[in-house]
Amino acid sequence: MSEQALEVRRSSATMWGSKTGLRTKEVVSKYIDTTTCIGCKACEAACVEWNDLRTLATHQEGSYQTLPELDAQFWNLIRFNERTSDDGGPMWLMRKDQCMHCAEPGCLAACPAPGAIVQYSNGIVDVNPAACIGCGYCSTGCPFDVPKFSKSTGKMAKCTLCVDRVEVGLEPACIKACPTGCLQFGTKEEMVQLGNARVAQLKKTGFESAMLYDPPGVNGTTVVTVLGHGHPEWYNLPVNPHVPWGVRLWKQVVRPIGVIAGFAAILGFFVHYTKYGPKEPPEDTRP
Amino acid sequence: MSTVQQVDTPIVVARNRDNVAVGDEIVRHRMATRIIHWSVALTFFIALFSGMPIWTPLFGWMASFVGGLDTARVIHPYAGLAFIIASIFQFFHWLPDMHLHEDQKGWLSRKAFSYMRWERVEESGKYNGGQILFFWAVCLGALGFLLSGIPMWFPLLFPVWIREICILIHDLTFIGFLVGVVGHIYLGTAAEPGTYRAMTRGTVTRRWAKFHHPGWFKEVTSRETRKS
Repeated sequence: MSEQALEVRRSSATMWGSKTGLRTKEVVSKYIDTTTCIGCKACEAACVEWNDLRTLATHQEGSYQTLPELDAQFWNLIRFNERTSDDGGPMWLMRKDQCMHCAEPGCLAACPAPGAIVQYSNGIVDVNPAACIGCGYCSTGCPFDVPKFSKSTGKMAKCTLCVDRVEVGLEPACIKACPTGCLQFGTKEEMVQLGNARVAQLKKTGFESAMLYDPPGVNGTTVVTVLGHGHPEWYNLPVNPHVPWGVRLWKQVVRPIGVIAGFAAILGFFVHYTKYGPKEPPEDTRP
Repeated sequence: MSTVQQVDTPIVVARNRDNVAVGDEIVRHRMATRIIHWSVALTFFIALFSGMPIWTPLFGWMASFVGGLDTARVIHPYAGLAFIIASIFQFFHWLPDMHLHEDQKGWLSRKAFSYMRWERVEESGKYNGGQILFFWAVCLGALGFLLSGIPMWFPLLFPVWIREICILIHDLTFIGFLVGVVGHIYLGTAAEPGTYRAMTRGTVTRRWAKFHHPGWFKEVTSRETRKS
């Protein structure tokens, strides 16, 4: 962890906004190709195993999906969606869901605890449990509804992009486990290139609306996803994710106004006292 | 009867009764009123010191008063709840005195400014229009804190848009409260000598009463002459 602290790009609830650590690293990225995902859930197992998470009982909801939502004990979830295509055929869409590691993280913007959410210079957004106070603001700020509250620790938990593995030059556990190669890991630049090439290939083979999901509303994500169909909502993804307006208004407008108003009131009454002094009965007031 | 009254010092009378003149003093707030007022104040300050470090890191140092930021997150909602309970008592306790009289209009603009220039505002009633408006602002603020505070206490039970609105309402209510309380403390202590004791020992001097609340003074002293 000490090494990572040298490489912090941004930290929650700091006084001076974003800072770059002493070292900068290349931005890394996870590449997810939904069109070659076979829904084997090896990544789910690898995630639970590497991060030593508790295995949860699955929910039977008429789907192959392990759990309805991500959990503080389950950071990597393959979402299964069934749809009927325009020509009446079935579509079985699978997407690996986890923290997207936004370049402009809403969780970090909303977090009130100094250093509880940090963005490393390589783009990984991590929760620091030692500083987290479990208030849940990050969940309010997240456009992807990723951070989850852990009842056992009283803190928030989510995918770390295996920061502990990446730090020593390994790829994240989920990538390591993927048997089809639909998960890849590298620099963001490489992964975007790979994604664009794959999208071009898909377009040629009949997936005219294929797209690379790297939403500009959050300045791009450190997880880039190839979607076979240009409808992110079919994959439980927001079409245009951004830091919620309420969070921006609160942090960037209302709060500074409040701090200024508070100090102005104190100063104002001092000035008032200096000008008018105490209000006392004139000498002729006789009871 | 008269011998008993002579034995009772103002502070003894102020335990149970208010709006009575005792010797040189007049009882303004009986003990129940004072306890309720200080309950509201104390719980407000606990909520303030546990809430402000969560609000902005600028006041992060306040967390040390309550034992750290994570403790602050735990006790802030309970302090807030205690503040709400105290505020409910305060609301019903003070409600009968908090109706604006005919001659108490105009406090949102003209009268407030002339009052703050220390011009005499001759009004009837125990409280002037500014105090009455402050009472209603505090009640409204407490309601705002409560309604917006519940989704902030249990954020994961509410949809995100409700949480966003609540955070903004909680913030705006607090800003209003902060400015209001700073003014309240200023007027109750340094600005108007002789006022603070009304909330501690409960009594004020006749001179203070005649000057600050002439209507109330007349009311209280006329009862006194009728009795004697």
